[in-house]
Amino acid sequence: MTTDNAPLPAKRPSLLRRIDPAIATAFGCIVLLLLIGSVYSSNFLSPEYLLQQLKVASFLGIIATGMMIVVLMGQIDLSVPWVVTVGAMMSAAAASYGVVGETLAIPFGILCGVALGLVSGFGVAYLRIPSMIVTLAVNAVAQGLMVVYTGGFSPQDTATFAMRFLATGTTILGIPNALIVWAITGALVIFLLSRTIFGRAVYAIGNRERAAYLSGVATQRIVLLAFAISGGLSAFGGVLLAGYASKAAQSMGDAYLLPAIAAVVLGGTSILGGRGNYIGTVAGVILITLLQSILAVMQIAEFGRQIIYGAVIIAMLLLYGRERLQR
Amino acid sequence: MDDVVPLFRMEGISKRYGGVKALENASLTVQAARVHAILGENGAGKSTLIKIMSGVVAPDAGRMLLEGQSVQFANPAAANAAGIVCIFQELSLIPDLTVADNIVVSNPPTRFGMIDRRAQRRIAEEALARAGGEDIHPMALVKDLPLSRRQIIEIAKALARKPRLLILDEATSALTAADVSKVFDVLRRLRAEGLALLFISHRMHEIAEIADDCTIFRNGRNVATYRAGSKTDNEVVELMIGREYSHVFPPKKPLPPSDQPPVLDVRNLSWTQRLKDVSLTARAGEVVGLGGLDGQGQRELLLALFGVLRGASGEVLIDGKPTRIGSPRVAKSRKIGMALIPEDRKTEGLMLPMSVRDNLSFAALGNLSHAGVVDQRAERAAVDEMIRLLAIRTDGIDVPAGSLSGGNQQKLVIAKWLMVSPRIILLNDPTRGIDVGTKEEIYALLRKLADSGAAIVLYSTEYDELVGLCDRVIVLYDGAIKRTLVGSEITERALIGSALNIATDDREPGAKPVVEA
Repeated sequence: MTTDNAPLPAKRPSLLRRIDPAIATAFGCIVLLLLIGSVYSSNFLSPEYLLQQLKVASFLGIIATGMMIVVLMGQIDLSVPWVVTVGAMMSAAAASYGVVGETLAIPFGILCGVALGLVSGFGVAYLRIPSMIVTLAVNAVAQGLMVVYTGGFSPQDTATFAMRFLATGTTILGIPNALIVWAITGALVIFLLSRTIFGRAVYAIGNRERAAYLSGVATQRIVLLAFAISGGLSAFGGVLLAGYASKAAQSMGDAYLLPAIAAVVLGGTSILGGRGNYIGTVAGVILITLLQSILAVMQIAEFGRQIIYGAVIIAMLLLYGRERLQR
Repeated sequence: MDDVVPLFRMEGISKRYGGVKALENASLTVQAARVHAILGENGAGKSTLIKIMSGVVAPDAGRMLLEGQSVQFANPAAANAAGIVCIFQELSLIPDLTVADNIVVSNPPTRFGMIDRRAQRRIAEEALARAGGEDIHPMALVKDLPLSRRQIIEIAKALARKPRLLILDEATSALTAADVSKVFDVLRRLRAEGLALLFISHRMHEIAEIADDCTIFRNGRNVATYRAGSKTDNEVVELMIGREYSHVFPPKKPLPPSDQPPVLDVRNLSWTQRLKDVSLTARAGEVVGLGGLDGQGQRELLLALFGVLRGASGEVLIDGKPTRIGSPRVAKSRKIGMALIPEDRKTEGLMLPMSVRDNLSFAALGNLSHAGVVDQRAERAAVDEMIRLLAIRTDGIDVPAGSLSGGNQQKLVIAKWLMVSPRIILLNDPTRGIDVGTKEEIYALLRKLADSGAAIVLYSTEYDELVGLCDRVIVLYDGAIKRTLVGSEITERALIGSALNIATDDREPGAKPVVEA
């Protein structure tokens, strides 16, 4: 199904020539995981199962998209967990304000994420605080705000019809709407990264911020914008998750930070910035989702799952590290 | 000289990078106690040759003999152990460590498993003394020292590894004449001690001064080896570029007097202690040079003009109108039209891993896009045009900028800024570490740009460039203007004189920050 997200890139004829070995490895690992899974149960290769996995992957995919943009600049966004939760809670909260609230629920949730992203971005770009610190702080602040808002309990607001429709519905040919949303998001980001000044500047900042600045690019503005996009996409992921579960819950975003970073890095984006391809992130997201699913199907105890999950990620990164040395 | 076994010999060495032949069947013989110069244009294969000798890359074919024994180096450490140490063109020092830390960084002396600070300092002092940097404090931070001092530390660092064959790759290109002669004294002493020295430089007079033997490379082959002094400069240059070498500098045209205000008029520019009341003007069609020893504020002056330095005071008039330039983004805007070719093309001018296309169009994307979306057709056309105009040698526009030779990378930086059609062009030592052929092209280009109405401010560490190119030269010392030379006053003698007169009674100006450390 990866073709669903792959139609855009063949713009430059040279792209085939320089397919990142990391991306190839990621897709190889996906095939391997499917084969291992199919040994366990023949269901693994059924279209229903695969579509279900892709639907689950969509939420992570949207969150990892924002993460990738930030990582491309050589920064990181650790505010994912509570920005996701803010998106979920705020959209659900807006839904309880009548018809106007219903219609504005999704944009309101996203805007809350954008606002938090702007705070992170301002800290990184203008105050020159390392992104690791700022985004961690923003995460804590977001958590505090949500605890105040809910009084520490799960809020009683429910998701709107639109949110549930986007997250759980299907339209054409049984393709989950969530997957279509991810595909559209991905297509937009591929366009943004490869065809716009903003995209060029993101790569340039990741490679050499000084050279980018001396080229007369408003690097601070680009950094601010990138964090805002990342915050917005995290919150959008939260909105969809709230739609998926029909309501928002405390710490529902906790499970998305490590997978989002892992998906981006497994997809061949350099954690130091400047290099990476969105198709790789797509592969990384699918890979992580399949891995989680297989570990769940194997009915390994939770602690074992965590250990294997972490170990596999480290092993894969080692694999990539070797490839890069050989260049 | 053939009756002794040479210290080092390489035969039939070939190396390819993808489709590009960097070296083809090259050979070289290096004798102990001699200075052997390697000449060649950028891209002739010199860098690759050195990388092979010092174990950074492995050759595809050929063999290397050290005192008649066949050797192979798996990595630079193996080459070091065999006594081959290289000082690379790019500075390899860590700015936030002290001089002593840097000198012993690869192999620090230890006591009970901890770094032995006292021994480290002693080693550093010895090495610095051997490298002619006695006045550098071993506990100073490298980042506080100017470029020329850092190069001395680089040499000291190499000497601390006890080399038998020392390779200096453009090691003097950042140095001023005074520093170079100091380094040469050191090199002569090392030669007398029996070291073999391999010396790579683009400065012909330096080679004439220090070298015993010379080997010329062209297109990945060694085309001639001869005793220093047995060929004229013209013959050498012809061998290097394979064509006749005529006048290097394009003729200057006297500028007709004009009542127009100068394009660039700077008044009383100051910045911390580094720039003091600098005033200068540049008219359309004029090439204004910045002279003086390295590190006297020339670099800061250019950065301040380009809006990079915070807290610079003074007044800047563009076309006679007071203008505030707060960032490079403002500086390059159409109203001002300023461009800065920065000092270090690898870290300031280019994003090396990005493609030639992305680098070239990066500064000019605003003109090549609609609503933030890059017009790929317009971009492609503009990029192709620039590559043609400057004759940039590249294997297509999608290859990384880092795969080009040094001279072509520099052309890339210049081309990138020509794409914004600047009216004021600031250049910070644009020909550093570049081959003669490319230099000549850049000289012609600068004159052409001036003739078509650009105002050019050029800082160069090479006096003959200032003499050959500039209509007016401003000599800086310690951040202030000491002298302005106009027209026929600009001679190498006058430049050196005005740069040094002031400095001779004092210690080396670069040594200043060390003392308080």
